[in-house]
Amino acid sequence: MQNDLVIRRLEFALDYTRLLDDEKYRLVDMNMVEPFTIEDKGHHPSAIILERNEQLFSIRSDWTRSLLNYSENYHLDQRFFGYFGPVVRDYATVHQAGVELYRPSNDEILESIDMHLSFITDRYAQSFHSIVVNDDALLDLYISKYGLDEEIRHLVHEKNLSELKKRLGPEHPLYALLSAKVSEQIDLVNEEFAEHDIMRFIARLRETLEKYGMKFMLDLSFRSPQSYYNGFYFQAFLDHDHPLLSGGEYNSSAFGIAVNLSDGGLL
Amino acid sequence: MITVALTKGRLFKDFLKYMDENDLANYSTALEGETRSLYTIVNDVKFIFAKGPDVPTYVESGVADLGIVGSDIITENPFNILNVSQLPFGDCHFSVAALPDQESFGVIATKYTNIAKAHFKNKKQDISLIHLNGSVELAPLLGLSDGIVDIVQTGSTLKDNGLVEYEKIMDIHARLIANKRTFYTKEDEIYGFLTEIGVIE
Repeated sequence: MQNDLVIRRLEFALDYTRLLDDEKYRLVDMNMVEPFTIEDKGHHPSAIILERNEQLFSIRSDWTRSLLNYSENYHLDQRFFGYFGPVVRDYATVHQAGVELYRPSNDEILESIDMHLSFITDRYAQSFHSIVVNDDALLDLYISKYGLDEEIRHLVHEKNLSELKKRLGPEHPLYALLSAKVSEQIDLVNEEFAEHDIMRFIARLRETLEKYGMKFMLDLSFRSPQSYYNGFYFQAFLDHDHPLLSGGEYNSSAFGIAVNLSDGGLL
Repeated sequence: MITVALTKGRLFKDFLKYMDENDLANYSTALEGETRSLYTIVNDVKFIFAKGPDVPTYVESGVADLGIVGSDIITENPFNILNVSQLPFGDCHFSVAALPDQESFGVIATKYTNIAKAHFKNKKQDISLIHLNGSVELAPLLGLSDGIVDIVQTGSTLKDNGLVEYEKIMDIHARLIANKRTFYTKEDEIYGFLTEIGVIE
């Protein structure tokens, strides 16, 4: 069983990195020990930190951060990067694979998401069951349109329906939206903000993914466990309780997609 | 099938009563007979019985899709869960209690150190905390602390031990919590159950 898993993981790595090479992504292989600043700890609480010669270092805990640090320190002649390799979180090693796109257009983001879904469905003959999406800025639109208190933000993030009902009333559009089934939320948001750039992008994504026959859900409470994502964010699930693909916008001009090889249900 | 984590303490009896009052006898009748089991299945819902503080751990991991837990537990420790709804039972509150005529509180004994710490910090009151796992009423009686922070339901336990409430800290209610992933992947079953028990109309 263990041998089989190791072999399947390596086969995945080979097929995936070949795909990225064909699609003109720059493949990166970086040192696992990297410079670290204490300010990073908030975003990467599970990172293991060490000190040498009065400089802090961490063991790589997240490829997105590693690549971002690299891109901030060195001039890059390419915008699309791909990786496969281990990261260490809370003393456990897990394998990550994924891509980072710097300054991508919406078309390029959609192409990359499509490329990942198509790779999994073709190579592994597995169907995606569902995708959940959100953009934190959608809540800003509601807060601004209805003049809501900033405290509402926390209640929406934890999907605290009873408190939202108490504060907003049962007829308020934001309460009506959040108490609806998540698969119905997209139509309700479209009733108010269909012409906004965020919903136009989500509509294009939905159209792009139609061929996969998966359930498409938008939920204003849906957020990344990684706090650095600050715009559009998604998770795609096989018929499994952990997402296989997750990704989104960070740093205002970058987009990452990661393949969950540990418990995404693929290997 | 969805899995719902329950605790077999006071909240469980309140939940059974709530289901009886809301025409959900199919659940309450089946659950009432399960006083010694670790889990039971009713229709398409698997109920597991855990220790109260463990309910959010089961839900956070996804072993359970939903859970019913006191707000004291998820206020004392953070969990990465959806905190969906207050339920109309399990009401009680946190209080500061001590022997009558206690003039100041320098040392507080409690099982809920994070809640006590936040409360006194908010009041800019410098105190020392002693963590106890239970029977905290003993601490002021034996001189271990000046007072306690504990859950008060009827006040009879305090009264029986000669203690009085000095200050109410916060209300406590039963809450329905949900896993952040299966809320989407099992959407239909979860919304069906939430509607059935009256969390969503």
